[in-house]
Amino acid sequence: MNRLLVVAGIAFLLVAPLLTSNAFFQHLMIMVLFWTLLGASWNLLGGFAGQVSFGHATFLGIGAYTTMLFYLSLQLSPWLGMLAGGVFGALFALPIGLICFRLRGPYFSLATLAVAEIARLVALNWEQLTAGPVGLLITTLPQVSIAGHAINWESKIPFCYLAAGLTLFAMGLTYAVSRSRLGAYLTAVREDIDSAEAIGIDTVRTRVIALALSAFVVGLAGSFYALYFRYIDPDAVFAISLSVEMVFIAVVGGLATTAGPIVGAIVLVTISEIFRDRFAAGHLIFYGLFMMLVIRYLPEGIWGRLRLLLRLTRG
Amino acid sequence: MNWAGIFLESKMEIFAQSVVSGVLTGSLYAMIAVGLTIVFGVMRIINLAHGEMVMLGMFGAYWSYTLLGIDPFLSVVIWAPAMFAGGMLIHRFLLKDVIPKGELNTLLYTAGLSLLLANLALFFFTGDYRTLNLPYALMPARPFGIAVPIPLAIAFVMAIAITLGLYLLLSRTDVGRAIRATAQNPQSAALMGVNVLRIDMITFGLGTALAAAAGVLLVPSLYLYPTVGEILIVKCFVIVVLGGLGSVPGAIAGGILLGLVESLGAVYVSVAYKDTIGFVLFLLVLLFRPSGLFGVGRS
Amino acid sequence: MSYKAKLLAVLSLSLALSSGALAQGTLKIGAPQPMTGPDAPFGDKFQKAYSMAVEEINAKGGVNGRNIEVIIEDHQAKNPLAATVAEKLITQQQVLVLTGGRASGQAVEIASVAQRLKTPYMVDHPSADIVTAKGFEWVFRNNPTGSIYPEAFNKFISEVPNALPKSAAVVYDNTVFGKTIANSAMTFLKSKNVPIVNDEAYPVNTLDFKPIMTKVKASNPDYVLLVAVSTTDAILMTRHAKEIGITPRAFVGFGGGFGVVDFAKQLGPLAENVFSSAAWSGNPNEPATKEFYDKFKAKYGFLPKEHEVEGYAAIYIIADALKRAKLTGNLDTDREAVRQSLLQTDMTTVFGKIKFANWEGPLGDKYTNQNAYSRDHSVLAQWNAKGELLNVWPKANAETAYVFPDKALVR
Repeated sequence: MNRLLVVAGIAFLLVAPLLTSNAFFQHLMIMVLFWTLLGASWNLLGGFAGQVSFGHATFLGIGAYTTMLFYLSLQLSPWLGMLAGGVFGALFALPIGLICFRLRGPYFSLATLAVAEIARLVALNWEQLTAGPVGLLITTLPQVSIAGHAINWESKIPFCYLAAGLTLFAMGLTYAVSRSRLGAYLTAVREDIDSAEAIGIDTVRTRVIALALSAFVVGLAGSFYALYFRYIDPDAVFAISLSVEMVFIAVVGGLATTAGPIVGAIVLVTISEIFRDRFAAGHLIFYGLFMMLVIRYLPEGIWGRLRLLLRLTRG
Repeated sequence: MNWAGIFLESKMEIFAQSVVSGVLTGSLYAMIAVGLTIVFGVMRIINLAHGEMVMLGMFGAYWSYTLLGIDPFLSVVIWAPAMFAGGMLIHRFLLKDVIPKGELNTLLYTAGLSLLLANLALFFFTGDYRTLNLPYALMPARPFGIAVPIPLAIAFVMAIAITLGLYLLLSRTDVGRAIRATAQNPQSAALMGVNVLRIDMITFGLGTALAAAAGVLLVPSLYLYPTVGEILIVKCFVIVVLGGLGSVPGAIAGGILLGLVESLGAVYVSVAYKDTIGFVLFLLVLLFRPSGLFGVGRS
Repeated sequence: MSYKAKLLAVLSLSLALSSGALAQGTLKIGAPQPMTGPDAPFGDKFQKAYSMAVEEINAKGGVNGRNIEVIIEDHQAKNPLAATVAEKLITQQQVLVLTGGRASGQAVEIASVAQRLKTPYMVDHPSADIVTAKGFEWVFRNNPTGSIYPEAFNKFISEVPNALPKSAAVVYDNTVFGKTIANSAMTFLKSKNVPIVNDEAYPVNTLDFKPIMTKVKASNPDYVLLVAVSTTDAILMTRHAKEIGITPRAFVGFGGGFGVVDFAKQLGPLAENVFSSAAWSGNPNEPATKEFYDKFKAKYGFLPKEHEVEGYAAIYIIADALKRAKLTGNLDTDREAVRQSLLQTDMTTVFGKIKFANWEGPLGDKYTNQNAYSRDHSVLAQWNAKGELLNVWPKANAETAYVFPDKALVR
């Protein structure tokens, strides 16, 4: 049953962008994929390893700025730029992890928040590098051809596929990790870090690897953001609200599940749109209310609860 | 003319002014942080909606002044108890059932609550910026040539009074002892006959009341709009970590320290980076003394 | 799961369509604005201004017999959302032209989207130079750019006897707005050999300006220039500056916050004699301007300032372009027709004269479709003891004489 769902999901992703010529729907699809991507990568660290980071936007920003700067000053192709974004994200994860993982629980979370804020302030003030608050703008994306056809960057379709590809990669990565020895170590760390240490697991190394993987994916997402929205400034990509939203997605969907982030992203993106349409003034009131209700009544996440129900009905 | 003397004197003046400004502002930050740290100490939760509690206190003082002419400093006696009750209600009906679901869930729940409260305020009060202008507070006092804004000075004195009151509450009363016992170890406290759930509720009420009181004291010196909580909560985090999570004297010291760091940092280092200095200090403390600069926090 | 997604998508679509209110025959103008969040008060100003303009125009028979309507979408002052709602307005609501944006970051996104999706965007307020300096042929701007804001002030210090600063302290926020204006002002001052004794960039929404003002006081500047994109910063900055006891010959404020009614309301006597170098040259002695003032005040209960005028004028400019455009009903050709029509604009609104042209700004930016009269639109106003903001320079727009040096400051 699970495998069928996955195949159906992939098939849908391949076909969906072509089903509608409505650019707004394609945009919604991209946003759902984008947030799934972010939620899934946060989940690697937060759900599986139990390390709640409130500063994941740091890596989003690093990925975005890396790609933008490489493209604007070195004319680096966007593909390489994306890879660079991910790699830089992972590189920065190393010192950040080594620093922050000395801390536990709320202290860790607050430290990640501080890191994200420092990153934002540096991007804001180091104008020689980042152009500060003015931000960076891409006016034209380069000519790229695939199999002889030039990609039309004005259309959203290439972005749909790009986003889909990245998301499938992230989910595949999550799935692979959950099934691997690393995954088992992460679970051990999450459940009881002292016991994990006691039985010989190098918890620092394990966590840093998880963070690096997570940061790599978020870095890729940041690069995607830069290419899709074509304009970045420090407040857009290093914002605390982005970090918090990532956590929402993972939690609302279902922590430590592979499919949770998809559900979380679909629900939250749709809800945002509906609320903004229906309740123009004060839609965030309902968004806040929605968050509270989900956490109170579905603390294991929507997908988490669905999974439970499915298991129960199957007896 | 003694140029050297004047030069030195003005340098001293700048330093003194920076210190005074820093301490005064810092004391108000401290009051906000105390509420947050008490709640963490007893219930082990970080209340992301704390900034909104301050905001509600600010609005309360604003409306009671604008509509009823009650001086904000006097209105503390209305709003602190009112928000105490409000806090208890929030705990009883909203938080109590969410806390058992885990720290992360509780944290996110309070994040949702924060969104809700800020946007309700935005909806009902509109986003217009407001300030509260006290007729007796127009120009500052100038002892020794240092500008001391009057509302800030009054707020400082009242903050000290409130904190003293808190200290007496925690050390001399039964409730206070129960709170401290629960903070130390909820299980042992329960064994000693403390109704932990009731103490949790009271503590949350107390934290909320302190936040609201801080808001009331702040509003004549600052400005008021529904989303001001966002900025305040981040400062709060820095302070409680500096001072040690769960420690009241730590929060006070942390608040004043942050006020000083920001003030001196702005004047002597760089205005643009003054916030960064605070965060870097924050990170350093987290790394090297996670129990706080004063070593009194708990993890 | 895929079924669920489809269901939710269809649900979304029907809700989106129903709220789009496809009224037949109306000419649709899209306006992304911050309607919630910290910038909400500004979104509100624009909504009021647009409404008044739309009502007036429709009451007079609309544009070529058809009503116009402004569709506002909330972008919460967030850049990606601004891009999203701009696209929504273009693709879902199928508007003919866009305006609004409010803050520069959002405006850049909207401009980028408008350029890519080939829809005209007539900028009414956002001032970042970059919006009309990227060669976007679909983007037009009526209001002055950030680097032009100090123009009237520059004229004042050059033309009024003995007004040239002996030194200047410049305090500005580290946003695009703050930095551009400060940069422009300082460039001009440096060209006149005025020493800049303080160059301080502060983070937006600073709670305490006393440290900065302490630093400024120590340099004893002749002029103090304050730049703030946020109203609260403007008010707090001025208050703290005066509390700390800085006594320059003049305080000069740049930014919307220095020109709004709130400034005098909240600061009381502390607002006296503060200059405001703003983006509007409206002379209330002119009948058209006075009529606008009175009508707005009667309708909404407060006097309009920069934002309201810009929004109101924007609708009139767009209506004028719509009137001259030959609309066939095909969205793509209609949008191009509107663009061509905008290029031919040559009219006067309450805001001032308008004609779009390509020219070079004071900091070297090459503008496309920027209002050629922008430099004349910057005007220097001053707050008086009665809490009124009156134009004082250039003489042609002056409502009253300027007060200089600032005698209200205790020395």
